[in-house]
Amino acid sequence: MPERRAAHPGLYPASGEHPPLLGQRCAGCGHVAFPPNPYGCESCGAEPDALESRELAGAGELAAFATVHLHMGKGIEAPFTVGVVVLDDGPAVRATLTCPTDEGLRIGDRVQSVLVSQGSDDDGNETVELRFAPLGASDGGAS
Amino acid sequence: MGKTLRELRPVRVVGIGLHRYQRMSETTFVTLGLTAVREALADAGLAWRDIESVYNGTALLGLASTRPMLRHLGASGIPMTQVENASASGSTAFAQACLEVASGISDVVLAMGVDKPAPLAIAGSKTGIRDLVGSRVAPFTHFALLTNEYMHRHGVRPEQVAQVAVKNSQNGAANPYAQRQKARTLEEVLAPPQISGALTRLQCCPIGEGAAAVIVASDDAIARLGLESARAPRVLASVTRTERVYPGAKNFDAELTSETTSLAYEQAGIGPQDLDLIECHDAFAIEELLYVEAMGLCGEGEGAGMLANGDTAIGGRCAVSPSGGLLAMGHPIGPTGAGQICELTRQLRGEAGARQQPDARTGLAHMVGIGAVCVVHVLQAG
Ligand SMILES: [Zn+2]
Repeated sequence: MPERRAAHPGLYPASGEHPPLLGQRCAGCGHVAFPPNPYGCESCGAEPDALESRELAGAGELAAFATVHLHMGKGIEAPFTVGVVVLDDGPAVRATLTCPTDEGLRIGDRVQSVLVSQGSDDDGNETVELRFAPLGASDGGAS
Repeated sequence: MGKTLRELRPVRVVGIGLHRYQRMSETTFVTLGLTAVREALADAGLAWRDIESVYNGTALLGLASTRPMLRHLGASGIPMTQVENASASGSTAFAQACLEVASGISDVVLAMGVDKPAPLAIAGSKTGIRDLVGSRVAPFTHFALLTNEYMHRHGVRPEQVAQVAVKNSQNGAANPYAQRQKARTLEEVLAPPQISGALTRLQCCPIGEGAAAVIVASDDAIARLGLESARAPRVLASVTRTERVYPGAKNFDAELTSETTSLAYEQAGIGPQDLDLIECHDAFAIEELLYVEAMGLCGEGEGAGMLANGDTAIGGRCAVSPSGGLLAMGHPIGPTGAGQICELTRQLRGEAGARQQPDARTGLAHMVGIGAVCVVHVLQAG
């Protein structure tokens, strides 16, 4: 059976219209973090067993953005636009936006997570990547 | 209770030397390093046998680079240690040399930095912790995001940020050790290629090769060896800090600089109003504005205005990066922090020629490195 896979396993589910980000909350100090880590709490030093999985809603506010012309990353051609998104659930995350350029973007814009198809392999398995779409803008494709 | 550098015996810079920062060439790291060290020895009026220990800031050369270079000065058997602290490697080599003299373990120590461009192997990418962007966000994009946020928050235009690179290119044009020695107009700085966000090529530092050497000594050694203490600025403060957890989307680069610099002011017994010059980590144009504010030279959002008034130009209230900074002098990684100390020393001696900041008495050197780490030193004229 062909399946759908997340380009970043463990950071978000591979399905859903506006998938959550899979973060962490420290039972010791309450610090909420993304991405999750298996080592210990950066805020208080609590050991890994104190770090609870916590879904962070894929919604927030754009705090900064930049259109990238040069990079060494995978799965995308420049130009593309990255943003700093302050999630409603706390942490600020850096993510790729669905819009290739920053035309019309404004700091403070509401954004939400969407899954964008990265193509399928010969067996029909599709890889999807989480990006953020400005609210009201059409999302990237896979849903 | 621990002690600060200031509470130990005085440490002074007695010799400085550089190999020009330049694009990658056939020149070996041995030639780069020896050129800087021989110049520093000649500047101090010292012989190689007077050096008791070496710290070498280097991040890209590979294991054990120091002795294969320095043995050609005569293998004297002294301790030699490589120091890696990302972009602050040369700053940390200097910090270690200062501590060794201040503690009384040695009287005369060489701090240096040498590097040639090579592929980066950053340990942070091997933690097994992935994020959503990976290498889609290179360092210049990190600073493009900060540029965007800063311009929005303070109503600053891209041309005002680009003026940092214009000023520093003018300073670099008067520095024979600078990689970029051409004064640029605003139009040239804003010209494509666009790298990321508002950042153009000339708002990003060149990463090339080079070397810098600094010899530090105790007052005992200065008297014993008959060195000129008037040409030997004292190191008033040495502070290293690393990033903590800051709330929300707060800019950790500025927070880290702010806390490191305040500790350095406290240690030196000075405030920002006492600084005549700063060598600042301006790898990207926006950084100079963020950091002069974080250092308390002006209020938040006033950095661009301070620049436009000429307050940070040579001859202004506090010259920022009279060497040309990382943007014009260049950023060969290992040497950069040691090269800042060379510039402060030259300025505090009044030997900086065309780029001399008038009546320079007190200067601050500031480097940040990925990780993130921040290293600040304060020097005062001898
Ligand atoms: Zn915790």
